[in-house]
Amino acid sequence: MIELLASTIRLSTPLIFAAMGGFFCERSGVATICLEGVLLTSAWAAATVTYFSHNSYLGVLAAVLVGTFTMSLHSFLTVKAKADQIISGVAVNLFAAGITPILTKLLFSSPTNTAAIPMAERLNSPVLIYLAFGIPFLIHFITYRTGWGLRLLACGDGPQALKTSGVSPQTFRYGALALGGAIVSFGGAYLSIAHASQFTRDMTAGRGFMALTALIFGKWRPLPAFLTCLFFGLTEALQIQLQSSPIFENTFPIQALQIFPYLVTLLVLVGFIGSARPPLAINQAD
Amino acid sequence: MILGQLKKNLMGPLFAILIAAVVTSFILISFGESPEILWEAFTSTFFTSFGMGYTLYYTTPLILTGLSVALCFHAGLFNIGAEGQLHLGAAGIVAASFLFPQLPWYLALPLGVFISFLSGALWGLIAGFLKAKRGSHEVIVTILLNFIGITFVNYLILYPFKNTSVQNPETREISTSFFLPPLSALTGHFGSEIFRTTPVNVTLFLSLIAALSCHYFLFYTTKGYELRTLGQNPKSAQFNGIALAPNLILVFFLSGGLSGLVGVNEVMGFSHKLIEGFSPQYGFTGIAVALMARNSPLGVILAAFLFGSIHNGAREIEFLSEKITKEIAIVMEAFLIILIAGHSYFVNAFTRLIKRGSRD
Repeated sequence: MIELLASTIRLSTPLIFAAMGGFFCERSGVATICLEGVLLTSAWAAATVTYFSHNSYLGVLAAVLVGTFTMSLHSFLTVKAKADQIISGVAVNLFAAGITPILTKLLFSSPTNTAAIPMAERLNSPVLIYLAFGIPFLIHFITYRTGWGLRLLACGDGPQALKTSGVSPQTFRYGALALGGAIVSFGGAYLSIAHASQFTRDMTAGRGFMALTALIFGKWRPLPAFLTCLFFGLTEALQIQLQSSPIFENTFPIQALQIFPYLVTLLVLVGFIGSARPPLAINQAD
Repeated sequence: MILGQLKKNLMGPLFAILIAAVVTSFILISFGESPEILWEAFTSTFFTSFGMGYTLYYTTPLILTGLSVALCFHAGLFNIGAEGQLHLGAAGIVAASFLFPQLPWYLALPLGVFISFLSGALWGLIAGFLKAKRGSHEVIVTILLNFIGITFVNYLILYPFKNTSVQNPETREISTSFFLPPLSALTGHFGSEIFRTTPVNVTLFLSLIAALSCHYFLFYTTKGYELRTLGQNPKSAQFNGIALAPNLILVFFLSGGLSGLVGVNEVMGFSHKLIEGFSPQYGFTGIAVALMARNSPLGVILAAFLFGSIHNGAREIEFLSEKITKEIAIVMEAFLIILIAGHSYFVNAFTRLIKRGSRD
């Protein structure tokens, strides 16, 4: 039972970072299906820099820089080049899925994984977990209690109004996406140097999409999205327990549990359980 | 006039290809790879029967997913769910073969094609239905449906359909009456060696027929006109008596079916079983194909061939090179999508650059 709880906390941490970062991006009015790609590049950067520098904090820093850069590619394409937000997201995801194994092969002569980081050099302090469990409350406060937060909501729901009040939605979105990208990157770093001790190809395994799903399930609000991440983390922890338990070994179809988060989110989206409304200006050409 | 239009429509994509190719080659060379390998991959892809066989084998599913995405784009919808739909289509064939193993080939082949279309189409239909009836955004719904569909198919592969005599996650083999002949069997019939030992099969013709049918459907039928009008201006279309809901459902049904047909190429044409993770992102590459073709069904054939040759070239590079993996194809694809999606910005930036250059 304690093990299940601990496992839930560990597995929901990267989801929380990705969902909270995604919150800033989506609420500023930019559809962000590239959370997956940002997680992937930042996980790669964390593992690589930690391996070479023997310093896990430098690894986290590298993850934030690389992740923010990846997200900035998305903001450049959507805000400056006026590309469709979904298409840009697909391109960033493809870019991340392609470039990480190539660089891994180049540096470690294996396309599937980076060299393992020694146990002692991993990020052993639980600092990222504390951060993950604190940040949703901070974001809640920033969003609903500060001027910047209100501008964020306005940018997503009525960028014209924001423009009238003298703030450029374009510039604002650059900032919101850079901040969001940085937060997502903590999740990537956690995956590769705290949860595991190396980067493996496609190690994010759809977590970016699951975080996006959690954000939608939480109806684009920080605290409900946070709770949803915990819940999705629990279903993932259950899968692992069931897989390793001798009673269910190879008989219980864990796919049923894997489908579960997506299925309930679909039901929410369809309006059978409450209704989820995306930010009004999302994915609109301006 | 047609020539002028062709020139206008081809210039952009050709420029994009050129830039993406230069950038990718630059990446390869800066990673210390020799340009000879690039040249070798290029010649092998286009000038050997083995390379061309594989290229056409990759082209086939990309035509289908490209059409699937393009058809939805015409109606103003974004089908990001081709990946899930094609998994369902492939699983449908395997299920049909296990249900009716004794069917003679002249019944089995049409059944297989029909079932793969239908399974993909029904999976696509869900997104169309939810969009029409509940107003749920099709992008989010199809992302969710991708995960649900692929996980469900993986369950089928690992449990009810599993081939228990091997370690790999794959299904038992389908019965031989469902096998489609490879193209080499046809060419061999005429005493030619071309395409020998390559997996390209008659599904290629099926995908070409699908492209022609889509062209006819979109531009020469009333339904096609209705879909395009809805895509261009939904409000004016509805004022003119074109119903939104049934058309949304129809276009997602057809799109899903086209993606589902990818299963024919994979299961009936080549591997004769379903293997976990058989699709190297055919569904997402379909988005790139449709963008490149500017949603023209006939253009999709060309664009799919381009992406098929990129896939094959990358396969060759991985084989020849010590340093580079086949993912270079995905990176090049991403560049192409970026260039096309933001083309007006890049064209402007480019012309400004030239103007400044000529002033100096």
